[in-house]
Amino acid sequence: MKKIFWCILLCFACGNHPEGHRSDVIRLTYWSANNQDEIYVAEQLVAEWNVAHPGIQVKHQPIPESRSSEEVILAAVVGRTTPDIYSNMWPGDVESYVRAGTLVALDSLAGFDSLSAARFTPERLRESYSNDGHVYQILWKTNPVMMVYNKKMFAEAGLNKPPSTYEDFLEAGERIGRDTDGDGYVDRWVGITQILVAWWQRFFDYYALYIAASDGKTLLADDAVAFDNEVSVEVFRFLKTLFDRGYFPRERMDARADVFMNGIVATRFTGPWTITQLEKYAPEGFDYDFAPLPRPRSSSGPAYTYGDYKSIVIFSNTKYPEESWEFVKHLVSRKSDLNLLSTAHQLPIRKTILQDSLFTPYFVRNPKMRAFAGQSDYVRGVDHSPVLREIFDAISQEFEACVIYGTKTPEDAVRSAAYRAHVVMME
Amino acid sequence: MKPMKRRIALPAGYAFVLPYIVHFCIFIAFPLIFSFLLIFHRWDIISPMQWIGLSNFIKLSKDLIFFKAIGNTITFLLIHIPLQIGIALLLAEFLNQKIRFRGFFRASYFLPVVVSGVVITIIWQQLYATDTGILNSLLVRLGAPKLPWLTNTGLAMPSIAIMATWKNVGLYIVLFLVGLQSIPTYMYEAADIEGATHWQKFFHITLPMLNPTILMVVLLSTIGGFSLFIEPYIMTDGGPMNSTLSAMLYIYRQAFSFYHMGYAATLGFFFALIVFLVVLIQKKVVEKESVY
Repeated sequence: MKKIFWCILLCFACGNHPEGHRSDVIRLTYWSANNQDEIYVAEQLVAEWNVAHPGIQVKHQPIPESRSSEEVILAAVVGRTTPDIYSNMWPGDVESYVRAGTLVALDSLAGFDSLSAARFTPERLRESYSNDGHVYQILWKTNPVMMVYNKKMFAEAGLNKPPSTYEDFLEAGERIGRDTDGDGYVDRWVGITQILVAWWQRFFDYYALYIAASDGKTLLADDAVAFDNEVSVEVFRFLKTLFDRGYFPRERMDARADVFMNGIVATRFTGPWTITQLEKYAPEGFDYDFAPLPRPRSSSGPAYTYGDYKSIVIFSNTKYPEESWEFVKHLVSRKSDLNLLSTAHQLPIRKTILQDSLFTPYFVRNPKMRAFAGQSDYVRGVDHSPVLREIFDAISQEFEACVIYGTKTPEDAVRSAAYRAHVVMME
Repeated sequence: MKPMKRRIALPAGYAFVLPYIVHFCIFIAFPLIFSFLLIFHRWDIISPMQWIGLSNFIKLSKDLIFFKAIGNTITFLLIHIPLQIGIALLLAEFLNQKIRFRGFFRASYFLPVVVSGVVITIIWQQLYATDTGILNSLLVRLGAPKLPWLTNTGLAMPSIAIMATWKNVGLYIVLFLVGLQSIPTYMYEAADIEGATHWQKFFHITLPMLNPTILMVVLLSTIGGFSLFIEPYIMTDGGPMNSTLSAMLYIYRQAFSFYHMGYAATLGFFFALIVFLVVLIQKKVVEKESVY
């Protein structure tokens, strides 16, 4: 009896070993973003990889749920529970992790140069470099901030094209803003922006407009504050005028039904995710389109904007950096990029995407995404600074004081924000 | 025999208190000691801690926004506590009478206490909306101008205090009801015989007899008020112009937005000291008044 028991146990022990649990198989863990579309894309890419690479098996897991993915990554880094590969890193956080030694330098791995040459323009590659001269992230996808506008509201106001300059936008504000129910208060606006002071809200107004107005400049240059200039003042003045004249509402409207979709506001500064929302939920016949952000009349050349990148990184606690890197190369292949684009409608950072025949059918089927793909050649991310959040917080505080409540002039607001940013960088 | 008994009893005793000791060590003692050590360090969670001596205290002494946040919290308390005590007492007195549907009213007033603070805050955010809120729609229908409830620096904190009062008043009504029901009826009977009016009875019997309850309500409201967080976090994010930035919200931002863990710990200890002092003063003042 005893012999039979041990035989059965042995059979279970041997027979229960699925192929994937062989000791010579390398196992990697990959975290993706946790929205449904990206989970689906990640599952497909991982399944393809696992079939093609029986010796390197990847386990996919959406990043655990939390208020923000940044918090989860921080907790994982502290608890040393990071995955081998993560594909939804905000580049603004990369520098802190680099300083803490938690990321693998990708430019030291085989095939980095050929991958980056195939994928990035020199400009985009420069944005990937950290302050220590190495590359720790592959810029993977972008959500360029553009202006979505309600064509019907513009047509009703006698405007046949979207505003491209500040003057045009202010004129649209004058024509579109009105009181529809006769209670003496305006209830239609040309646009809206978040009045909350949370630092990251400024990506969608001041920062995107600053990049547009400055022909692609960011907040810092040579590790010093660089936004204390006339362009910044002009952006503040433009936004302040919108609030002063009542063209933008001075209140939050995010707890009610979508104000753009419901024809309450005529424009919004937003990313490509809006297309999916509008296609799903907008009333029938809702006519909209996208245009670059308005800029001062003096601006010339292509209109830049904020790119809102997400990157792929390899954490340094991985036992298999080379194998992880091979998987990263699979994630950013042309075929994988097409999968990301066609399944999740997320725009891969890939030079000449509009000219690449592999992607052409997608853009024929989804013409609205063409505007974002075109814009993706003219985007900027954020600077590499461990105190970036505080710099944005300083700007946001001054934005509130000047733009929304008008207690400071644009000149004073920009000067104060720049001074505060300088102090924070020196601390 | 006695020593034997002790030897047998002691391990069992330790076993019984072990869950509490473990809980105390992990969730109270360790965080407290760790936070205290953080006061003297710079730590952004991912990099190693760095000893900086008293630098966090020097930073605190120059941090005008933190002192503004404390001022905002005190403004909130000055509006919230009297409003809460007044309304709770009035409604408790009303609900202590023999009225129809008394049970229904008592349950109704208590309902907001058990509803999630986040849900209530989002609902009130809609009520307070300047251009689209129900409150302003009513004002306009009555011929009054719209009020910028949450977007005016002078109005935002009182608006939050009103909402917090509406949410919490049910709890204090219950406390006052318990207090009212414990006042001996013979006192009112004696006052009736002496020909006392309703107000005389209220001021000379009810209020003095409720003094211990009032003290408790003041202390609970003060401690609760000092931890003001959810309401400004969701409704205003501390705005407009930091006018609703509470001390707790500021400490939270320092810790979890900017990862200044050492500085946040310093602010936390300093703030706890202020709360302790205020509660101590309140206790002395209100208890002194209770001598009757």
